[in-house]
Amino acid sequence: MEGQTIRAFTSESVAAALVASGERVLSRSLKYHRPRTFFCMEGHCGGCLARIDGVPNLRACQTPCTTGTTIEGQNAYPSPEIDLFGAVDFLFPRGMDHHTLMTGSSILNNLASKVVRQLSGLGKLPATESHELPAVQLERVDVCVIGGGPAGLAAATAAASSGASTLLVDDQLRLGGSLLADPRLGVAVADARVAAAMAAGVRALPRSTAIAFFPEDAPEDGGVLAVATPDHLVRVVARRWVWATGGYAVNLLFADNDRPGVLAARGVGRMLVQHGIAAGERICVVVGKGMDDYANALAEALRGARVDVTTTSADQVERARGRSWVTAVELTSRRRLDCDVVAVAAMPAPASEGPRQQGCRTVLDPARGGFRVIVDRDGRTSTPDVFACGDVCGYVGPMAAATVGARVGGAAAEEALALARELGPIATTAARRGA
Amino acid sequence: MGSKIVVCRCEDVTRADLEHSVARGYRDIEEVKRYTGFGTGPCQGKECLAVVATALAEITGEDPSFIAPFTSRPPLAPTPIKLLARDPAAHRFPDDPAEPVAAASEEET
Repeated sequence: MEGQTIRAFTSESVAAALVASGERVLSRSLKYHRPRTFFCMEGHCGGCLARIDGVPNLRACQTPCTTGTTIEGQNAYPSPEIDLFGAVDFLFPRGMDHHTLMTGSSILNNLASKVVRQLSGLGKLPATESHELPAVQLERVDVCVIGGGPAGLAAATAAASSGASTLLVDDQLRLGGSLLADPRLGVAVADARVAAAMAAGVRALPRSTAIAFFPEDAPEDGGVLAVATPDHLVRVVARRWVWATGGYAVNLLFADNDRPGVLAARGVGRMLVQHGIAAGERICVVVGKGMDDYANALAEALRGARVDVTTTSADQVERARGRSWVTAVELTSRRRLDCDVVAVAAMPAPASEGPRQQGCRTVLDPARGGFRVIVDRDGRTSTPDVFACGDVCGYVGPMAAATVGARVGGAAAEEALALARELGPIATTAARRGA
Repeated sequence: MGSKIVVCRCEDVTRADLEHSVARGYRDIEEVKRYTGFGTGPCQGKECLAVVATALAEITGEDPSFIAPFTSRPPLAPTPIKLLARDPAAHRFPDDPAEPVAAASEEET
């Protein structure tokens, strides 16, 4: 990768440009120095960390390309493709329990600790110091919707349409969420729904992540949601919260499932639908439980883009083959499916850690993807004032998420507006705090 | 390369590590997190929490609905610390400097 120049569109992410240009391994893993690269393409997996323009640990899939952007691999010597420390993986084929590593002798143990400290850690410090400390902004709204996918767009549109001041927080480069990764829906549908939300009066904060909820901070307002934009922090106070954070792309369990080239099916779909890029020439789609509809739609769309596609069910997969990039999937029957990308269609895991910080009850439901938020019909969680809708309440897919989102957004707005009639508009009811 | 089933890509935790942890008596999700380090990397469990919890239910035979998630802590995504430096909540304790620490070095330059 280093020393090469690649061409890219300024609207696309660094990761998309790397996929399109055939550049691949970005770093090495912490312990065994196994090769690492993008997996989810949605800024959630931590696989595509790279040093971009001198700043370490940036997510390549959430960093837009600009002219003259420099991209460097990290955590590898001499390069992510050929990393000498990869030897650790060979030396500990059955894994390494660092609790008991060389604990027999104190001298050896000290030595081992020193070596491990040198080898571990992520990236090196930024090239330049940061002297500008951005001011913190304050937002007060009736309804704050977190997540700009099918559920969140529908919820925000419904809330704003009924007259509630509505803020939509979304962490991606472009609003639309899973609509932009689904060949049955796609960019035109996403753009139309975003336009409808804007027309209804929704204010959107794109590229902004809800990083924490602090109930003890401004308790008279019911707590503060900290939202990180690319260049400053926003403290959000809202009368009602709607979590529509969807689900995270996860992996399936087979040997060497972390091999670069094993990508989330939704990431492959996002490449195709949002960026018009075929992630590979021969793609093997591995279909997990409950994901047949999406996997079939993706396979068909990939074939339409002249990709050689094979599909196999997850329980038939034994291992991935290949060294720094996948070359085949080996089945339990010993059959080999040659490929240059494996698209893993596992059920997305509900992105419920934000609601959990607000105290919402969740339950582990493997058939719905993971820890789903428990809600009633109108999306009320176990915490007063907090609603949730879409895949964060258990996987339902983008069509059903939009339907339920509209209902939940309406219910949240109704409660917020009832409070406004009682106490007055949100923007003037409490003393302004913040910067 | 040694063949491994990876459950947490950030911290290189394998399915065998989970079995090893359970065999040593660390079965609860918070214990397994502390013993193996799963969920403590850059993704903070986004990719692995549900996968590990489901695998633990299989290994221990426990009813999944009895398995609680680990505590969700801020920040929920990698965040440059400078964004937090001027948050008023960061300076509300009496012993804290009124101005961010970096202000001193700003004056020198």
